[in-house]
Amino acid sequence: MSSEIRWENSMEAALARAKQEDKPILLDFYNPG
Amino acid sequence: MDAVTYPNDKVAAHVHEHCIPLRIGHEDQPLAGQFKVKWTPRLFLLDQNGNSDHDVMGFLPPDELVPFIQLARAKQAFHNDRLDEATAILDEMLIESSASGSAAEAVFLHGVSDFKKNHDPKALKAVYRLLKFDYAQSAWARRAFPYWNL
Repeated sequence: MSSEIRWENSMEAALARAKQEDKPILLDFYNPG
Repeated sequence: MDAVTYPNDKVAAHVHEHCIPLRIGHEDQPLAGQFKVKWTPRLFLLDQNGNSDHDVMGFLPPDELVPFIQLARAKQAFHNDRLDEATAILDEMLIESSASGSAAEAVFLHGVSDFKKNHDPKALKAVYRLLKFDYAQSAWARRAFPYWNL
């Protein structure tokens, strides 16, 4: 198992995947620096 | 989070098994404004319509992020009357993470879910006793106080 989280970067894409995969979304607001 | 929590194998596996991970810059509009983001890290668990009733501000180590996600998933199940799903998630969480910062709220939610399923006040009294003895300093122990004499 890879220890890298593969993040979505678009709410629209995340919502579409959430409905398709029947999962909630973990939304992380972060400081890109 | 990038240095410690997200590279953790258990965290990455849990996130991908149970969530769609989404990262947004804290100044990216309109989302940062919609979610009133004023400090980072700031995490939310959203339902499939983009709504959240569970969030946290500040760093979470690996052994706090996983129970945060579990509790948030259980709350989503509870609020949508999927009580068996809620208690199953909370059972798993409380076995693995009974010392986490999310545990006291999980105990409370588990007891309330049991009561809603079975209508047996003993579930609520058990919540009061468990919180009083194992999580006495938590706000959830005080919230369970009315159940002491059921």
